[in-house]
Amino acid sequence: MPERFFKGIRATALAAAAGIALALAVAGADDARAEYGDVVINNFSDAAGMRPVVFPHWFHRIRFRCKVCHADLGFKFQAGGNQINMVKIIDGEFCGACHNGEIAWSVENCNLCHSAKPGTPTQVHESTVQRLVAPGGVQPAPARK
Amino acid sequence: MRTRIALIAALAAGLASGGAYAADGKTVFGSTCVACHGSGIAGAPKLGDAAAWGPRIKTGIPALYNSALNGKAAMPARGGNPSLSDADVKAAVDYMVGSVAGGVRQQGAAAPAKPAEVRPAEKKSAPATAADGRSVYHGTCSGCHTDGKEGSPVLGDRTFWIPRIKAGKDALYASANKGKGKMPPRGGNNALSEADLKAAVDYMVLQAIQSSQTAAAVPAPAAPAAEANTFNRLLRAAGKRNLPPADDGIHDAANDGTHLLQPPAQAFTVFPKSTAGNGVNWVESLSQKKIAPRYDRKDPAAAPVVMDLNIVREVKGSMPDVVYPHKQHTEWLDCSNCHPAIFIPQKGANQISMASIILGQKCGVCHGKVAFPVSECRLCHSKKKETAVSQAGTGK
Repeated sequence: MPERFFKGIRATALAAAAGIALALAVAGADDARAEYGDVVINNFSDAAGMRPVVFPHWFHRIRFRCKVCHADLGFKFQAGGNQINMVKIIDGEFCGACHNGEIAWSVENCNLCHSAKPGTPTQVHESTVQRLVAPGGVQPAPARK
Repeated sequence: MRTRIALIAALAAGLASGGAYAADGKTVFGSTCVACHGSGIAGAPKLGDAAAWGPRIKTGIPALYNSALNGKAAMPARGGNPSLSDADVKAAVDYMVGSVAGGVRQQGAAAPAKPAEVRPAEKKSAPATAADGRSVYHGTCSGCHTDGKEGSPVLGDRTFWIPRIKAGKDALYASANKGKGKMPPRGGNNALSEADLKAAVDYMVLQAIQSSQTAAAVPAPAAPAAEANTFNRLLRAAGKRNLPPADDGIHDAANDGTHLLQPPAQAFTVFPKSTAGNGVNWVESLSQKKIAPRYDRKDPAAAPVVMDLNIVREVKGSMPDVVYPHKQHTEWLDCSNCHPAIFIPQKGANQISMASIILGQKCGVCHGKVAFPVSECRLCHSKKKETAVSQAGTGK
């Protein structure tokens, strides 16, 4: 019964998709105050019952130049564009090139990466496009009639 | 299938840290909450009932978590199941909220009729002093004071509040502290400190005063004057930058790993400041050797191949021409990062516009995502146009 209810609600939500999606994006930005450049990666996490990954750009650029990941390790300049999964990481690709217990801590620390609120979509937090939707990351006052 | 995923996830999380990760709010709901929230007995908001959940969701998710964890009215703490972890309870709340999220927004769009005096105050971020009181109010007091349950005075109801404010706030503090009539001491939440309580009273008093100022107005605009004319209304307040991961709105505070992550402010204290992005001037941080990022994954001694070549791009309109410095870019990047996929290495071969940059192409692949954003116009548009100046001179 609740399942059916849930589906019904979801269908009505889809019907008004555009408006609601905008409202959600704005509302989401309102309480999200993560760092500029933090990347949320949710290609597979939610579906697998894990929290999405938050990649803190600021933390990594203190320790490595862009070139190391984006040229040597082959990370594309696109949030969610690398189809990273745990097998690749364990085999030493992408994050696994360093997160192997030698250069940086190893993959058993699931919760250090998989730390986003469940359901957070893939995004570059605070990117220009995101800020255009909600200036200053603050929800604009609702239109009053 | 679902339970198997949940099991695996729980197992993995357990192996990693021993922390409890509630994989599935639905499961928790089904095991505990459904007793009341499935059918809506004892005044419990029913799963999927947008009308019942709407006002509750408006008070904020933290307030809902708080009610679920500590109980509220007929609702026992943790839904009467003390074996549930905090994360379990929160996941169940998320699930129930999720069941109506779409519907509530629709309902709000269709019927925006709500008492005008409560609305602007709820929607807008209050000034710093009132912020605490507001969250205490929504965490505890709103259970009764929003709709006048048990004869409690409604927030913003001036006929009740104004005479009592005139009698002095100390009396109000005392009633809130010790209880009065059906009001339990501290609103029934013993976790509240004296200061919390006073802040909440102050918040309610403020709402009453403000509503009396705007009561004459038609049920329309007129946000409380104190809030409407603040500086930098849409800008982020200074205290809201570089927050620790648990408070940043992206990280899940219920995740134990979140609390092990470094708060950015701690790392940034020694870096040169900037007004945009993280608030850090990364190029300066590098040139002043405040940071020593590796150029090679393993070899700390590897040095970048720096190319010192400025490219001047003449731009249309009145903006100064753009000077593109290869030097600062090759400190961080490899040639192959930009050439040839993003920029054809040939003068005049690249069409670049601010529109494409804002949409994340060309310079916007990095600038506006992780390198300084487009708000810093003059960092790129830095070469004064000689022609523009001389033309202006001859024109007079």
